Amino acid sequence: MANGNAAEIGASISTFLTAKGVPPTKAWLHTFFSSVRLTTPVIALQQTALFQIRNADLQTSITRSASTLLPPGITDPATKEKHVRGPITVQVLDIEDIGRSRWSQVEALEAVDRGETTKGREVIRIVPEESGPDSTTLADAAKSSGPHKLLLQDASGAQAYAMEVLPLKGVGVQMSVGGKLVLRDFMVARGLILLEPRNVEVLGGKVEAWDKKWREEQKQRLKAKASIGEGG
Amino acid sequence: MTSVLGHLLSHDFDARYKAWKSCDPSQLFEASIDDFVEESKQPLAENIQAQARYCQILYIWTDCDREGENIGTEIRSVAVKRNPSLSQPGKTVRARFSNIERAHIINAAGNPIPLDEAQSNAVQSRIELDLRIGASFTRNLTLSVQPMLRQHFGNDDQGVISYGSCQFPTLGFVVERYLRVRNFVPETFWTIKIMHEKDRVKVNFRWARNHLFDRMVVVVLFERCLAAKTARVTKVQTKPTSKWKPLPLTTVELQKCGSMFLRLDSARVMQVAEGLYQKGWISYPRTETDQFDRDMDLRALVQKQTQGGDWAQFAQGLVDGGFSQPRSGRNNDKAHPPIHPVNFVNPTQLNQDEQRVHEFVVRRFLACCSEDARGSKTDISILFGGETFSTTGLTVLERNYLDVYKYDRWTSSQELPRFQEGEVFEPTEALMSEGQTSPPGYLTEPELIALMDANGIGTDATMAEHISKIKERQYVETRARARGAQQIGDDGAASDGETAVVAPAAGRGRGRGRARGRGGRGGGGAEGRGATNGMQEFIPTTLGVALVEGYENMGFEISLTKPFLRKEMELKMKAICEGRKTKAEVVHETIEQYRDVYVRTQQRLDTLRAAVRKYCFGENG
Repeated sequence: MANGNAAEIGASISTFLTAKGVPPTKAWLHTFFSSVRLTTPVIALQQTALFQIRNADLQTSITRSASTLLPPGITDPATKEKHVRGPITVQVLDIEDIGRSRWSQVEALEAVDRGETTKGREVIRIVPEESGPDSTTLADAAKSSGPHKLLLQDASGAQAYAMEVLPLKGVGVQMSVGGKLVLRDFMVARGLILLEPRNVEVLGGKVEAWDKKWREEQKQRLKAKASIGEGG
Repeated sequence: MTSVLGHLLSHDFDARYKAWKSCDPSQLFEASIDDFVEESKQPLAENIQAQARYCQILYIWTDCDREGENIGTEIRSVAVKRNPSLSQPGKTVRARFSNIERAHIINAAGNPIPLDEAQSNAVQSRIELDLRIGASFTRNLTLSVQPMLRQHFGNDDQGVISYGSCQFPTLGFVVERYLRVRNFVPETFWTIKIMHEKDRVKVNFRWARNHLFDRMVVVVLFERCLAAKTARVTKVQTKPTSKWKPLPLTTVELQKCGSMFLRLDSARVMQVAEGLYQKGWISYPRTETDQFDRDMDLRALVQKQTQGGDWAQFAQGLVDGGFSQPRSGRNNDKAHPPIHPVNFVNPTQLNQDEQRVHEFVVRRFLACCSEDARGSKTDISILFGGETFSTTGLTVLERNYLDVYKYDRWTSSQELPRFQEGEVFEPTEALMSEGQTSPPGYLTEPELIALMDANGIGTDATMAEHISKIKERQYVETRARARGAQQIGDDGAASDGETAVVAPAAGRGRGRGRARGRGGRGGGGAEGRGATNGMQEFIPTTLGVALVEGYENMGFEISLTKPFLRKEMELKMKAICEGRKTKAEVVHETIEQYRDVYVRTQQRLDTLRAAVRKYCFGENG
């Protein structure tokens, strides 16, 4: 009786997750079931499953097929342009704000370290000027961020760079590393995936260990990139 | 009727504590303080007492700001010594006034109010705190560091190393900018530039993304533009635009403009302005108010300026119908109006510095009473290979205030050819080019004043003093900014003087160049771009850097070089004025806060000494 239930529940969760773009492997499902009570309503189980799979490494959680993996050779810079239908599910390994210099980002992080962003200790460094209805202040310029360049990875471990051609909601340096995106109907130019709101669905999620490490090393990374002086 | 010269009373520690080595500096947190009339002010005090003897009422007419209120209570305390009846309720009153127009003064005279004890207490607490904290920290700092400096340099020249709760954050700003400049790492960026020639006009289109710090990405985007071959006009919009006339003049603004346009540092500007005020040519120069009272007769003041000077004709134009009510800012100290000319004076009667300051005040005032400058702006955007580029044209139609306020600039750009929305064309030139970020400049005086103002350090009356003090103590030096060097520094994370681009590189060519021109800036027009050359910039001395670094390294709870401790003090003083806190509470709380800092400083003095060794002696580690 219990087995029968488990099989049904398993199927319904699998269908649910697949529809979301994260088809689970049998192994993952098995691990998942060992962590939940089967008496919980299915809808709640589905949500829990989604939550957990979003926070997992794709390489160990979803099935690999033509419909989940990046097509081979898409990172080839010799190919001027390639259209990919997808859907492809990827996780974010790295995010960079390429609209601001690395050094200014380092300075911003150091200001946070010095406690200047805590309430009551703010130090105002940008003094706004006003000269007319059209003036843009430095404060505005400083706040805007992006576009962002992302390093994406599919379930097989293959990596590719992507760039926000138009701003994507939920994408920025605050975004968690390990977050999942589902890409559909997109262009790849010289190996760079071009992202727009219409071809990206941000599933979210985070791989705690990766995110923590990424944040700890952020300043170092930015400094290293600034010193090299190349845009990469 | 008689007067005083600023504060009548002075305050110092009881004789037992006066000598530096007489006690541990931390005892000054509790040591008793004497109030007394110092020698130079004795005649004033005696005069007041003589006058008070036979008076029934003491009517105070000091400035209606906090300090004025406090001075009022000082006068009362001196007068009461001779005539105790003046301390009874209603026997000492004060007039509330904010300008010296006849009707206003008469009205004020007829409506006296009691002295505001709360405001006076706020000032008292500030005086006490500045004395206790300033003295204890200064003694401690000097005794800890002076000997090692004297010994190392083998002389007795090293003077007092003072601490002040406003001085240090002021120094902090200077050192911070200095370190930012020194630590700056230049980075290369890439951009795409489109130029199209139409109707024999070369139009440059600027990339909506400005520039990016990743070469690969820009190459990819550039290639997509080239592949698209044609661009399409997505927006053509012409609309009226204006450049606002300036706000009424405050002390802070006068000091900033003095530095930028008149080549006078803040202390000198204030000195000259005070002189002009005392001679009756301009209104009281210490004010935070940037709005004119509706009932002030500004037209009459404009009328006075039609009598002569280069601006006479302009003033006449205002009188003949061009007059427009000044803009109102957000500040009103309720004590004084914005700085404005009160009488006409022939410039030949003034010395050179006075002429420049006076002229500035007059031009500023007349500009306030003019119309905004008006123009027409055309914005054109194009879509090329999925990327957006745009250009702007400006036509100045009416200069209005700009004709008298020569310190602002606004000029028409080249005229743009006509484009239509939907129009498609093949751009004449599409290039990818690169440039490099460059560091901001060292702090100039107007920038420092702006930072102090924004972070609540010092008041309009004292900012110039704090700046003078850090120069006097040799924590900073000034030097003229080199011609062609990076101009008015960019504060804030993103703006690091990303400068003009050099060697264009078509396609994916390399062409690395180094650009060290003037950084582009938004807002405010290019006011006095030529005038920035020769402006003074602040460079900290090794001692200044050592002090800031030393204290910083002691941990951020200490933060004597950051503005927030002082800002908190200012907030607490406001609380006393508003009756939310008593003087005793504020003094007690603040002393405890600083005592805590004092103790930590004591524990970590070695950090400070290490910084001195590193920066002043050049030792490493």
